[in-house]
Amino acid sequence: MPNIYKNKKPLVFFLVPAFLFMIVFLYYPFIKNIVNSFQNIRGLGTAAKGWNDPWYLNFTRMVEDENMRIALKNTLIMILVTIVGQVGIALFLAILVDNVKHGSKFFRIVFFFPIVISATALGLLFNLIFLYDKGMINQLLGALGSKGLIDWKNETHALITMMIPVTWQYVGFYFIILVTGLNNISDELYEAAAIDGATRMQRVRYITLPLLHNVICTCIVLAVTGALKVFDLPWVMFPKGIPFGRTWLTGTYMYYQVFNVSDVDYSSTIAILIVVLGVILSKVVNTVFKEKDY
Amino acid sequence: MKRKSAAILLTCAMVLSLAACGNKGDTKDDSGKSASKEKSGGVTLDITTTFAGNDTNAQNFKDAVEGWQEETGNSVNDSSATSDETFKARVAADFEVGSEPDVLFYFNGMDSNSFVEAGKVISIDEIRKEYPEYADNMKDELMGASPVDGVNYSVPVNGYWEGMYVNKTVLDAASVEVPDASTTWDEFMEDCQKIKDAGYTPVAASLAQIPHYWFEFTIYNQLSPATHNVLPESVDDEHGKAWVDGIGDIKTMYEKGYFPDNTLSGTDDETFQAFLDGKAAFLIDGSWKLGGIEEATDDIDNFTVTYVPAKGDRKATDIIGGLSSGYYITKKAWDNPDKREAAVSFVEYMTTNEMVSKFAQTSATALKDGATVDESQLSSLGKSGLEMVNGITGIAGAVQDQIPTECRVPVFDGMPNLVTGKVEIKDAVSEVLTLIKDYTPEESAQ
Repeated sequence: MPNIYKNKKPLVFFLVPAFLFMIVFLYYPFIKNIVNSFQNIRGLGTAAKGWNDPWYLNFTRMVEDENMRIALKNTLIMILVTIVGQVGIALFLAILVDNVKHGSKFFRIVFFFPIVISATALGLLFNLIFLYDKGMINQLLGALGSKGLIDWKNETHALITMMIPVTWQYVGFYFIILVTGLNNISDELYEAAAIDGATRMQRVRYITLPLLHNVICTCIVLAVTGALKVFDLPWVMFPKGIPFGRTWLTGTYMYYQVFNVSDVDYSSTIAILIVVLGVILSKVVNTVFKEKDY
Repeated sequence: MKRKSAAILLTCAMVLSLAACGNKGDTKDDSGKSASKEKSGGVTLDITTTFAGNDTNAQNFKDAVEGWQEETGNSVNDSSATSDETFKARVAADFEVGSEPDVLFYFNGMDSNSFVEAGKVISIDEIRKEYPEYADNMKDELMGASPVDGVNYSVPVNGYWEGMYVNKTVLDAASVEVPDASTTWDEFMEDCQKIKDAGYTPVAASLAQIPHYWFEFTIYNQLSPATHNVLPESVDDEHGKAWVDGIGDIKTMYEKGYFPDNTLSGTDDETFQAFLDGKAAFLIDGSWKLGGIEEATDDIDNFTVTYVPAKGDRKATDIIGGLSSGYYITKKAWDNPDKREAAVSFVEYMTTNEMVSKFAQTSATALKDGATVDESQLSSLGKSGLEMVNGITGIAGAVQDQIPTECRVPVFDGMPNLVTGKVEIKDAVSEVLTLIKDYTPEESAQ
């Protein structure tokens, strides 16, 4: 009787449907998207009206487009904010929760909760918080004696106003990953360090962080690639890149070009840039934050 | 000249259609209008419309569909959806791949160009060869001819108008009268200043998100009903200058502080709420906003709608409005003998005098006999709207409907840059005209 575990043919039977699914819904659209970026398409669902002249028109336009530059700059800022804000805060909270004796389950639920709320609902919620007239913050400031209203969505504040809820939303996600990583660190190591006289800070510095290195790397890779795709919450709070196009992100600008401007070919070009950026940045992050074998 | 005649005809039609209000005896009896109304049964029509979601007529449409199904024994697969870009994309894609509906209620402007050009919808004239009474209760010249060939393909139901909604409490607090047909632009500016001095916002508008209405009327103020709907050839011709001066008026209003403090960063919802809450006095919007205000307030008598003050050749009673959508029968349904009759029957049922009156309420129609509006069912705001429409002297379609979406960006999404002086208005208008020429080189050459 032949060894059934050596026969790999049945695997093909199970892999083919998934492979076909990926071809139809991922690889074909992506290749079609590349073709679209060279064509003249004036509306979603409409056929191309021919090739662009020159064929690379959208790519030169993208280089010259000021909004695109703003979108790229904001996306890079968003990546830094997610690394420091999301992963950093999540790590801090995870270490704190890992050190409390009572109520750790409660804190896990509380910090994870924003993840289960839809980004659109969160956008509406934060819109009310930052609302110019009758917004929660302006009302609080008014109660504290502040005269006049602050426009939290003006040129000065817009970027911060946009990034606070995005950061807040995903802290819980990384928090849970890091807490799981912390649970995998043996208590015996901490006990041995304590016997040797290590302080709490020293235990974190010399035991927790090194042993959590790989988990942190995974979180950073997820945060960077996630930041490139941020769309829903910023779009709800800052449609059309208001004010003055200062809040564009690559994702929101691509959406705007399709659904508001009906410039499908240009948005396809932006989509290509997002994919290329995603691949390059993932590679860079993977190289910089290389996982270690212990 | 052609446009001038069309504008006059449209004006006359609106006046006539409203003159017939309350005169039920004059409305046409549609029974027996067509043999297609007989109960044939068994046919299923695929239908898509914009009567869905928050549309005022969503329920009316559902009721009407049920009524038609009951009367004919046919059935309907309804894929109606809110009129947005996703809906437009779906319709365009359906036509591209040959899965278009049998009947659709859709825009008759540039949005319909692709399927009209492809010959995928049937003209009214062709339908009338077989069904001579098809849409004979409508005025042909008002049906909304296709921009492609000037031929009628769709049967309109309800039109729209744009006017200035007023929060009367704010005006009382600032000791300002509600503007009327005789209010000039200069008087309006003085009123705005008084309102501002009284601590209120004169105009509720988000220049960051919805500058469209002010764009229309400030340009209209430089032109007339006959000339408003003409695209400029260049930034230096009469219409180009009108655009620059019109946007210049918006800039002046912004500099004087007549818009909300957060007009460059706030959304339309925020400024509309300020209007409802009695913090802003005026709001230019369409007839579709009437229902929105009625729903959003407990004190509808506090609101009224009036003409947008005018200057130059335009009278305040010259408004923006028209009939921008209608029922199309697709070639796919027409070529199917069973569906042909059912499709004609459906459109006829949906466009009887009675049905159009029910859908249109205070808005314009193309009915020969005019719409029948039961005024007792209208709120005070609805009556104001009706009174306003009764007094119009001229009407022009929105000029933005002639600008492809892709080409509007420099003056619409770029409005904050224009009013703050970051971009020169003349440069932005010039950019729009260049984009239009690049978009339609063959048409702009004419």
